[in-house]
Amino acid sequence: METIVPKTSDALTALLRADFTTQWRNRRSSVLVLLVPVIILISWKGIIDKVGGAFVLSSCVTIGLIAIGLMGYSNAIARDRDKGVFQRLRATPVPSWAIMVSRLIVQLVMIILLTALVFLAGYYYDGIIIPPIGYLLGFTAAIVGGALYLGLGQMIVGLLKNAETVNSTTRLVYFVFIMVGMLGEFGLFGEGIKNSVQWSPYGTVKNILSASMTPSTWNNRTFIALLITIVYAVVFSFLGIKKFKWSSK
Amino acid sequence: MSDQPGSSILQVEKLNVSYGTFKAVSDVSFDVRAGEIFGLLGPNGAGKTSTLSAVEGLLHFESGTITVAGFDTKKKPLHARANMGVQLQSTSFQPELKIAEIIQLYAGVYGVSLSSEKLNDLLHDIKLEESAGKRFGQLSGGQQQRVSLVIATIHNPVLVLLDEPTSGLDPQSRRQLWERIEAIREKGHAVLLTTHSMEEAEAVCDRIAIIDHGKVVTIDTPQVLIDRHRNDPEVISVSRKGKITLEDVFIGLTGRTVRA
Repeated sequence: METIVPKTSDALTALLRADFTTQWRNRRSSVLVLLVPVIILISWKGIIDKVGGAFVLSSCVTIGLIAIGLMGYSNAIARDRDKGVFQRLRATPVPSWAIMVSRLIVQLVMIILLTALVFLAGYYYDGIIIPPIGYLLGFTAAIVGGALYLGLGQMIVGLLKNAETVNSTTRLVYFVFIMVGMLGEFGLFGEGIKNSVQWSPYGTVKNILSASMTPSTWNNRTFIALLITIVYAVVFSFLGIKKFKWSSK
Repeated sequence: MSDQPGSSILQVEKLNVSYGTFKAVSDVSFDVRAGEIFGLLGPNGAGKTSTLSAVEGLLHFESGTITVAGFDTKKKPLHARANMGVQLQSTSFQPELKIAEIIQLYAGVYGVSLSSEKLNDLLHDIKLEESAGKRFGQLSGGQQQRVSLVIATIHNPVLVLLDEPTSGLDPQSRRQLWERIEAIREKGHAVLLTTHSMEEAEAVCDRIAIIDHGKVVTIDTPQVLIDRHRNDPEVISVSRKGKITLEDVFIGLTGRTVRA
């Protein structure tokens, strides 16, 4: 009898079909992840003239990216690890990396959906118009920023084993990022916090998103923000992958 | 690769598994042959699941070799896994997926092309065609085990690993599962199962290994083990019905102490 090791592409297709189905069945929570940035976008209509369209759009995309990385990705990984879903899949002739790549592709689609939704809502509800290249670069920056938050989610799920602890930690981090990032950026917590926020994962992602949507504003500071974003993403992902255990037992 | 009756499908040699300083499996060796149901018995924490997990490639083992259908699980893990079907102790699938979708997923990862006709046949075979649209969690324990077994054998593997497959099942479901496991043997494939049920081991296993404190205490057919140990004072002292059973031998060899 001949041993047939299935093609990784075939296995990945099966995994993707299952992971997209799972995401679709969880559409209520997916909608919530997408809805929060849109609600903020609509409610900020009054300040667009003051802070600029790119500022509002980039803030909303950043908030959505945090939700995707922390609430969506890491919680789903922690739950499936806790239930033994990964162990069952790992007992098949599929490389372990393919299991994670499938999950990440689903989140990549969520990032693209989120960005498109924010751009559309910004255009239709708030009348925000950015140059076509801004949309293209905006999508690219969203993917880079998304990598940072998926890396952060991976780090949390790598450092913490218990699904409940992961859940509460990601909620806390999400809340801190939104409150300190968003409000701190407006200077509500003082100049010190405002400066720190700029180089935090919230600030650097928001900065590169904003500058990508209006490419004429790219400067050295944005370039440094991009580098820091990449460093954050690499460090978080490295720690998350190194510390990750496939089983919570 | 050979799956002629009697040829070794799984070979475990001098397997050692540790969790930190705790040695869970120590120099365990055994083989499982084609057309054989091999039972791994032992008290809680004896090292059964660790041994099985090492075979499945789910945990790193310090030393020893495991060969499945001629493939070393460390050197050719995907080839080894392609030749085995697995039913874990607590099988779990994504709770959002329906039964038909779970079967399709595993058919896909094993590279099996599954038409809707073939899928219906599989569901019909396990009497779950009405439940194709249900979630795994909505099924009874017996139904869940049938789905798990179908998934474990969907690619017609030469080795099937079953971790406590009948745990928590009613007698009807247990008997039905035994028949399904015996059907795998009749195809000439090998089955390695762990169980706490001595009745099950005696009824379905061709050979058994009793494992305790991470070491193999004895390996043989249930009847030979009973005959060999029927005069042991420890076995006689635990015998309850005047007749020596496999359970008496098991308790005689592993002790009366309840394990955590």
